[in-house]
Amino acid sequence: MTSQYLPVIALLVLAVLFAAISFVVSRLLAPRSPNDRKQAPYECGIIPAEEDPNERFPVRFYLVAMIFIVFDIEIIFFYPWALSHRSLGLFGLVAVVIFALAVFESFIYLIGKGALEWGPNKQVKPKDSVVSLTRNTSNTIRRVGVRKVGQEGRDLPNQSVENKEVSS
Amino acid sequence: MMIIASDPLLSSDIGFSVVAIMLLKVVIAFALLMVSVMLVIWFERKIVADMHNRVGPSLAGPWGILQTLADGIKLFFKEDLLPERADRVVFRLAPYLSLVPAFLSFAIVPIGGDFTNGGDGTVSIFGHRTLLQVADPPVGILLFLALSSIAVYGVMLAGWSSGSKYPLLGSVRASAQMISYEAALGLSMATVFLFSGTLSTSGIVSGQATWNWNLVSTGFIPFIIFVIAGTAELNRPPFDLVEAEQELVGGFHTEYSSIRFALFFLAEFMNMITMSAIAVTLFLGGPNGPILIKQIAWVWPILWFFLKVMAFLFTFVWLRATLPRLRYDQLMDLGWKLLIPASLGWFLLIAALNIGEDRGWSTFLIVPIGLIVLSLAALLLNGAIKKAKDSSLHAADLSEISEGVDQ
Repeated sequence: MTSQYLPVIALLVLAVLFAAISFVVSRLLAPRSPNDRKQAPYECGIIPAEEDPNERFPVRFYLVAMIFIVFDIEIIFFYPWALSHRSLGLFGLVAVVIFALAVFESFIYLIGKGALEWGPNKQVKPKDSVVSLTRNTSNTIRRVGVRKVGQEGRDLPNQSVENKEVSS
Repeated sequence: MMIIASDPLLSSDIGFSVVAIMLLKVVIAFALLMVSVMLVIWFERKIVADMHNRVGPSLAGPWGILQTLADGIKLFFKEDLLPERADRVVFRLAPYLSLVPAFLSFAIVPIGGDFTNGGDGTVSIFGHRTLLQVADPPVGILLFLALSSIAVYGVMLAGWSSGSKYPLLGSVRASAQMISYEAALGLSMATVFLFSGTLSTSGIVSGQATWNWNLVSTGFIPFIIFVIAGTAELNRPPFDLVEAEQELVGGFHTEYSSIRFALFFLAEFMNMITMSAIAVTLFLGGPNGPILIKQIAWVWPILWFFLKVMAFLFTFVWLRATLPRLRYDQLMDLGWKLLIPASLGWFLLIAALNIGEDRGWSTFLIVPIGLIVLSLAALLLNGAIKKAKDSSLHAADLSEISEGVDQ
């Protein structure tokens, strides 16, 4: 039976060879003149941040991976049963339904706990008086200007000096 | 009804001629995949251009048909950059992890062969009987799932090793999306196996030889779930949050240039072709179809297979031109809270119907009972979703107040 996998291995060798030869050809043909700007992490015109970008990402993604494993195991148990469910009859069906219910129950618990809750969670009505019926162009623009542009967008004098030092 | 299907070519003694035919098939499959990727990229660009009321590629070759080739050659001449913060080994390894599974998963697709009237789908080449597919392992579909899982590593490691923000976020999104929809994909496939009784692709196709396509016998729902989950698995629009240009630049391959980028691009379109072919194999009878002219009987299955795959490829392009991109929470909600429970419930319902049929139960009894049980489960799920939404709103309420105090 293992001989059925011979073509797969042949195709694997061919695919790896293709990729490797592509790299070699590209290495021979492509120009090479790396500089700091080209090798820096991509940014839209600003100087890349100093911190290591691979340190932090939202833990929710990790949670999804953990829940996926449960379902993957469920699928792995389902496949052999699906192939021979007719010969296993009612006993097999009852066993699988009990198993599926056990997984489904924990799935309900996970969802109820908000483990798969990605939604925008700021749907409540704003409470501060600036965003209200009395808001007009002058007070909204002033508020946006003070909060967003003043603190985040605009370069403070000492920061820009630091950035220049980094880039040089 | 266990069918241990296998390629008769490799079941006999393996001599020189057998190895030669096997290598010929491998090379043909490789060339077929490369040429079809070239044409599919051109096809997509032309169709999208038509839908946008543009001309699209038109200069290289007749109707711009060689545009992809020109782009590919151009990418060979481009500088290959290694970002300074990249993990050098993993950065170089990732394109292989993406490309190789894309090649291998095509190996199990039967692209032709007459399965009707008791035919076993084999053709005769140089005196040897063989199937029109590269390999037919008894666990074909499982191999496909395993390879598509490895492809997730390619995407994830590419983003992680780049040492840059946008690729990392893109790859984290991509891996969460791909594994979420892989669960839905696997569960919708399970319903097919209730009818086929085998995981081998040629076995699944020969089970649908008499127009009893799995599309109808599984009751359409698994097919719909498969197509949606497949589109998400491929990171195709409207599920292309992985490379959402407005937020993430290029997603996981932002830092990739030159031939390394080309290999990711190649793998993406190969996966698109393979996913269409697997959908055709599982639900639309593979190469099965009427044989109209007996003299060229071997052409018809290939032609039917080609037409069915083209229908899927056109649908993917059509979706891209039509639908706006989903928000990330909508994507996750669709996968986890709709597709996975629906495919699970449908699988159990169909299984109960099959068992009930064997034991002589009345269908009119099983269907209402099944539907009642499923709607109870749906109500429970809905309650849980509501509860989660409410509690997250409550938390937001509190944080809003504390923010207000801050200001």
